[in-house]
Amino acid sequence: MLELRGATYRYAGYARPVLHEVDLALRDGEIVGLVGGTESGKSTICLVASGLAPLSIGGELRGEVRIDGEPTAGLAVHELAQRVVIGFQNPATQRSGIAATVFEEVALGPMNLGLPVVETLARARRALATLRIEHLADRDPARLSGGQGQLVAIASLLAMGARHVLLDEPTAQLDPEGSNLVGAALRDLAATGAALLVAEQRTDLLDGLCDRVVVVDGGRIVLDGPAAATLEDPRLEDWGVEPPSRVRLARALAARRLPGLAELGWPA
Amino acid sequence: MAGGYLVPLALIAIVLGCAAVAGVLRRLVRISFLLTLPIGISVVLVSALTRPGETVLLVLGPFDVTLEGIDFAGQTLVRLFAISTAIGLFTLATDPRAFVFDLERRGLSPRFAFVAAATIEAVPAMAARASVIAAAQRSRGLDTEGSLRARLRGVLPIVGPVLLSSLAEVEERSLALEVRGFGRPGRRRLLWWPPDRPVERLARWLLVVALAGLVVVRLLGAWPPIP
Repeated sequence: MLELRGATYRYAGYARPVLHEVDLALRDGEIVGLVGGTESGKSTICLVASGLAPLSIGGELRGEVRIDGEPTAGLAVHELAQRVVIGFQNPATQRSGIAATVFEEVALGPMNLGLPVVETLARARRALATLRIEHLADRDPARLSGGQGQLVAIASLLAMGARHVLLDEPTAQLDPEGSNLVGAALRDLAATGAALLVAEQRTDLLDGLCDRVVVVDGGRIVLDGPAAATLEDPRLEDWGVEPPSRVRLARALAARRLPGLAELGWPA
Repeated sequence: MAGGYLVPLALIAIVLGCAAVAGVLRRLVRISFLLTLPIGISVVLVSALTRPGETVLLVLGPFDVTLEGIDFAGQTLVRLFAISTAIGLFTLATDPRAFVFDLERRGLSPRFAFVAAATIEAVPAMAARASVIAAAQRSRGLDTEGSLRARLRGVLPIVGPVLLSSLAEVEERSLALEVRGFGRPGRRRLLWWPPDRPVERLARWLLVVALAGLVVVRLLGAWPPIP
């Protein structure tokens, strides 16, 4: 389990914290959606949970981050990366730029850890298989579509062997086809028991994927509950979050006194 | 005079021969001309017009074009061409990743190896980005064609966004690498490295010996000095 306990974080050079007393738990095998408006603190929560803030980017953290009950303070980034990993929105910036093939790209992390070659190869193969992208193994990572590139980036994170995966807007720069590709892959990934925290503005991706959705506003968690109920909460738009299309459609039908989604055969 | 041309021309011949074997001769010649041309023009102008000499070939206003000046320009040009063909052959015939992995296998720091490889790999990516930004700027009326002045005026609106967008990506790129254990101290385990055949090892040693020999010859003063 990954926990943030009373996490208050201030970026280097900023006078005020951007996160305030955040308590968040990501249990093993759980998929949690993290939603909020622009600059609400979603990305910062991901950075703090991954340890990159403050370890790599500086700043000041009060409170603590724990993994499986142990505080992460004192661990180096590469040590943390074997327990929790973070992916970003742009597939291009997550590419190392030095790998000739997707397989090499995915194997880069285990290579950096100095693992034996056999273990490195096994991890890379497993990561590609988990996301069902073995067919991309020999492709040039620079010549993939956005969706494929994001899957390769996620596979590269999985190869690190971490059980906690944080994804900061993984579909923000993808077209609908790419988003569907990533959404399906996240469902496959969740089925393996990995704990996922997915920060997204597009709630459609989270609807039906997440067990729980957390809403953040002004650096504070303002709502934390089961995915369906949270995504239907009428206050969501006040926090700068557009409800999923299912909810908007249901509201539009109700406003016109038309039959509900269930009657129209929309899957529950 | 001929001595100043002999070695660079011999080097050019060797490099072009290697390029032909590697199948990159045409591209190498084109790239080398492009590399040499800008400096070459200024070298010819400056040398021909300002270098003093005894044999005046032509008088252009206040300038005397001398045989010595033309000779100096010619020698400098062949040297520049020899350098650019050598560098061009290296970049065209060497897989940068194989080169860097091999250096890393021989003890180069993984960080330095990454910086070297990423720099080489970044060039086409930046060129592609510049091309997209140039197209976007042109669609908004920026004139990047025509006279030299118009082209120079068009450079800044393209270079600025290219550099700024590249810088904006640096942090995310470095964080993404950190997450993949790049900051771990110690050596990383390489999956492969390029084969090193006996003939290649022999060629390298011959080049080292040739270099040492040239240094000795130069120090002994048995080689014509650079004019």
